[in-house]
Amino acid sequence: MTILQEIPSEETFKEPQYPWKKANPSTSLTNSIIVVLPISVFALSFFLTDFPGALLFIVIFLPVQILVAIFATIWGISKKRVGDAVLSVLSLVAFSLVIALMGSVLFSVFSRGLPAISLSFISQNNTYISPTTELDYGGVGHALLGTLMVVAIGMIISVPLGIASAIYITDMKGRLSGFVRFMVQAMSGVPSIVAGLFILAAFILTDVSGFSALTGGLAYSILMLPTVARTAEEVLKLVPKDLRDAAIALGSSRARVIMKIVLPTARTGILTAVILGVARVIGETAPLLLTTSNTNGTNLNPFVDAVSTIPVYIFQFLGSGYPTAINRSWGAAFVLLTTVAILFAIARIVERSTKKG
Amino acid sequence: MESPTPRYFGREKSRTRSDKAFSGSVVVAALSSLFILVAILFYLATSSWPALQKEGFSFITGSTWIGGLDDPSQQVFQIWPMLYGSFLNALLAIIFAVPVSVLLAIFIVFIAPKKIARALTIIVDILAAIPSGIIGIWGFLVFTPVAEGWARLIHQYLGSIPIFVNNQDQFTRSPFITAWVLGIMIVPIITVVAREVLAQTPQDLLDAARGLGGSLWGIVRMVALPHARGGIVGGVMLGLGRALGETVAIYFVLNLIFERVNYYRILDPEGGSVASMIIAKFGEATPEEIQALLGAGLVLFILTLIVNLIANWIVARSARERLV
Repeated sequence: MTILQEIPSEETFKEPQYPWKKANPSTSLTNSIIVVLPISVFALSFFLTDFPGALLFIVIFLPVQILVAIFATIWGISKKRVGDAVLSVLSLVAFSLVIALMGSVLFSVFSRGLPAISLSFISQNNTYISPTTELDYGGVGHALLGTLMVVAIGMIISVPLGIASAIYITDMKGRLSGFVRFMVQAMSGVPSIVAGLFILAAFILTDVSGFSALTGGLAYSILMLPTVARTAEEVLKLVPKDLRDAAIALGSSRARVIMKIVLPTARTGILTAVILGVARVIGETAPLLLTTSNTNGTNLNPFVDAVSTIPVYIFQFLGSGYPTAINRSWGAAFVLLTTVAILFAIARIVERSTKKG
Repeated sequence: MESPTPRYFGREKSRTRSDKAFSGSVVVAALSSLFILVAILFYLATSSWPALQKEGFSFITGSTWIGGLDDPSQQVFQIWPMLYGSFLNALLAIIFAVPVSVLLAIFIVFIAPKKIARALTIIVDILAAIPSGIIGIWGFLVFTPVAEGWARLIHQYLGSIPIFVNNQDQFTRSPFITAWVLGIMIVPIITVVAREVLAQTPQDLLDAARGLGGSLWGIVRMVALPHARGGIVGGVMLGLGRALGETVAIYFVLNLIFERVNYYRILDPEGGSVASMIIAKFGEATPEEIQALLGAGLVLFILTLIVNLIANWIVARSARERLV
């Protein structure tokens, strides 16, 4: 509430406030009424009637809270601050809604996914496993390897292209740099299913290749490229111009300046760009359904035959509907979320270690 | 007297040559986005051409889907219910997400104490990084039962309003629930953009408004929001593009109906989505049907491309205006 305090209201001109003094009893009374009254009305109506809580929250709690805030503002501060009170209440509601929804997503993945996790779940594959098999047997090992393989292929293709796009926009500043940035932005809007359909039409329907990790990686690279390029562009912009000028003044060629000065200086930022690109795609299901298909065994050959991945594993078992199968997909969701969390943790640690150094 | 020729002249020349090779490869790599976009357009258009040609304009406007037959001449592929459904879902999601995101951005920039604002920024980033597959499984197994209760309540008390009519006594798998799940996915997208443009409100303007005794609400309404309007609209369009392209999460929470269009009854378990249709039909599709699905992908690609280009244009234009 910084702004509220900074702006002197009419009352503060009449009577200066001293923060070290004991709080004005009427102010603390106002504060407690603002907090206690809506909650107690809500609690009373919740226990005395049999309407569901969500309805009461919208119909009782919110209006009472807003009304109380309005009257408390008029009484305690100034009529002109009524808009502030409403804005504060509404934005706090938005804040709690987002926290509640995100908390619910994370909590359900943890509480339902964690019981499924065991060493065998992470290491075994899905051979001879039916949707009703108990969780002691079979797991996501093959899918984890498949996901790593597909993501690695996507990285190998998209990272050089993305960094080159960023170099072109920031360092070379060619005639087309505005156009390249425009194209990268246009590409960031390609839906994941369209990337999958494209690879399907260009490689699989034309019999260039069958379903394989390679085709999945190609589809992933289309989705990763814009993320990598945009993040790398932001990072390369931060490399001081002095460094470039000094290198050019020493007689370095442009290629040397970029390869030996600019990229090494920005290496941690570029790692962040790569990690953000991986995080963007690692949970994508739709393109893989069209390009890698699915299999129960472990397939380590990226060029031939279908391969299983974690998002497709979740999709497969969620679709079958049996309770044990659903537990499997929660377990796989937990593995996926943990992988994303580890990636972000690495990015943060790298970022922090370079700030110190 | 002749000036001595610099000794490094030859090396300089070869350097320029390697420089040129380097620059050339960077340019080629930088233009890869263009190549890929053109290739997507080309391959989707050519491989779906037979289906598009056969159906003509009714591919988009018709509401019949007859596939899986041995006789290709009897198959009909028309996607209007799915196309309309995609827009309905996205529109509902935006109606839910825009107030939440803008209020959240105002809270982060103007109201919250610094520590909470920083934590919230990280939380929004985490929300943006949760894979859509996980939002899908959560929406299907955790959120649907809860939202079903909300839908029943709305129907019970507001059922006389046409959009809340439901005669099927089933409240799951409706556009209403889909919109919530999509909304959760696009809230972080809009919030990130809105927070950035709100935070760039010039300090002079804020100070001046405060000096004139403006209240927080007055500052937000008269200074910050007009200043950030372009950026926020652009962020909303980016969210719209994401909502149009979402596939698997919708596949689990929405009942796809191919034969008729559910125009406005958002609590009915009937809806459509172009992207989800592709997944739903792909498994057992005949070769002709796959051509039609590629055509649906082409329509989706063009739509999202247009939405995204408009969004980026609005964001860029408002950024220029801010600089001036």
